[in-house]
Amino acid sequence: MNGDILLRVQLQAGYAGKQVLHDVRFELQRGEVLGLVGTSGAGKSTLVQSLLGLLPWRGGRVTGQVMLDGQNLLALSDRELRKLRGRQVALIPQSPMTALNAAISLQTHFNEAWKAHEKSGVAALARRLRTLLAEVQLPFDAEFLRRRPSQISVGQAQRVLIALALLHRPALIIADEPTSALDPVTQTQIVELLKSLNRLHGTTLLYISHDLVSVLQLSDRVAVLDAGTIVETLPVLDIGQARHPSTLALLKALPVPAEVLLSYRGRSAAESADHILSKCS
Amino acid sequence: MRARRLALWALLGLVLAAAAVVWAPNSSYSNQDRDLPLAGASVHHPAGTDALGRDRMVRVAAALLLGLAGAVAAAAATTLAAAAVGALSAFSPAALGAAGMMVCDVFLALPWLFLLMMVRSALPLTTSPGSSAAITFFVLAALGWPACARAVYRGAVNLKHAEWMLQARAGGLRPSQMLRHVMPNLMPLLVPQFLISIPAFIMAEANLGALGLGIGEPLPSWGGMLAELDSSAMLLQTRWVYLPIALLILVLLLVEAISVEARP
Repeated sequence: MNGDILLRVQLQAGYAGKQVLHDVRFELQRGEVLGLVGTSGAGKSTLVQSLLGLLPWRGGRVTGQVMLDGQNLLALSDRELRKLRGRQVALIPQSPMTALNAAISLQTHFNEAWKAHEKSGVAALARRLRTLLAEVQLPFDAEFLRRRPSQISVGQAQRVLIALALLHRPALIIADEPTSALDPVTQTQIVELLKSLNRLHGTTLLYISHDLVSVLQLSDRVAVLDAGTIVETLPVLDIGQARHPSTLALLKALPVPAEVLLSYRGRSAAESADHILSKCS
Repeated sequence: MRARRLALWALLGLVLAAAAVVWAPNSSYSNQDRDLPLAGASVHHPAGTDALGRDRMVRVAAALLLGLAGAVAAAAATTLAAAAVGALSAFSPAALGAAGMMVCDVFLALPWLFLLMMVRSALPLTTSPGSSAAITFFVLAALGWPACARAVYRGAVNLKHAEWMLQARAGGLRPSQMLRHVMPNLMPLLVPQFLISIPAFIMAEANLGALGLGIGEPLPSWGGMLAELDSSAMLLQTRWVYLPIALLILVLLLVEAISVEARP
């Protein structure tokens, strides 16, 4: 664990009269996937907005440090922070349908996101979209891009948002419960997609979820957030050595023992299913 | 939907017919036929003449065009002003937004009829008819925006907390780009406001004109022609004196029919 540190976080955050995050400390290495689990109300969304510098906008305040590549994001002006958002750090949101603007087309979403950080014109965007949409398994055609968010499925909407997050090849992607609004089949597809993107580009991923199953599938390390504090951080493969009651409670809530889930890591969903079926027969 | 399209075509037909009458060769809204004041229908004057011997058909047609064009322009101006004030107030810091809405409240509380009389009486008597028309519609637009701005403000404040706004911010969009995201969401609010303002302004111009506060002679206007109807002796001369009021009601009905389905 002495690699290249991309993100070092140490912060407290809250809203007027109510502290939500008491002491959140964690580090992310370049290319790593850190799964951050916690029950509802543990402060996951507050943490996401703190990291992106968006909490003041929601009426909250943050103290401490968010060091990204040696730069403290919390000390930056709003102007400088805007330049980093979307280009250095990107967000994959929780509910894809409400995170897209229903009044404008997908193409406009990409155009605006492109123009936010790139001066090169439409042709450059089209070149980028060709490879990008293939990566997230969306069709690259004008008819699809002309659609409004209401005209695509929720799974496609989440792929669009992943593509938007990847558009400028950010160093860090924060995924805020990206699968919680999806059906189980789509959930699996999205987790697989994130896994393959991490392998393909070495994208560093902060994967926030209350779903320990997907965290065990995807992450290198797990951090447990409980009542506004990171109570335990450990490599996924050592999850059996967890000591903190909150971690143990999460492990207890798993449908199958963690060891079983871990034994399927690295396989695709289809392989895992085949594996289980062959064992059953 | 079909009634709406029908009304749109009918209004368009009416406007084209009026334009044809106004711009026909030799037609003039101010030329006086001194031998024939208050005449009935004839070959030269299909709808008769007014008390000064001016062709009633041409005057009604010109009033229709002027009233509609003025009302549309004033409605556009008022909607634009409301969109700007409402959206800017919603997206600026809370204190500034509250101040913006306070200005709206002050405007809404103004005794506008009195104000209008003051403005008109302050103008020199030599004000040309053209500028009197411009001033009338300008004053209407200036008084029309605050109610609409309040509606836009409420809509924009709701948008401010939308999930996609947070997402757009997380993507690093510039403030000007945020506007590009917001405007399409405000259109369902702005279009009905625009359409509702048009008949309201036509009516307001007619009322002001009837009080002598509207568009100055010799320019023909709904209000000016309604003012001519205030003597009972006039009403008995010829049935054609009712043409302006009948046409005004028809135009208002058509415009209402067009705007009715856009209402929130």
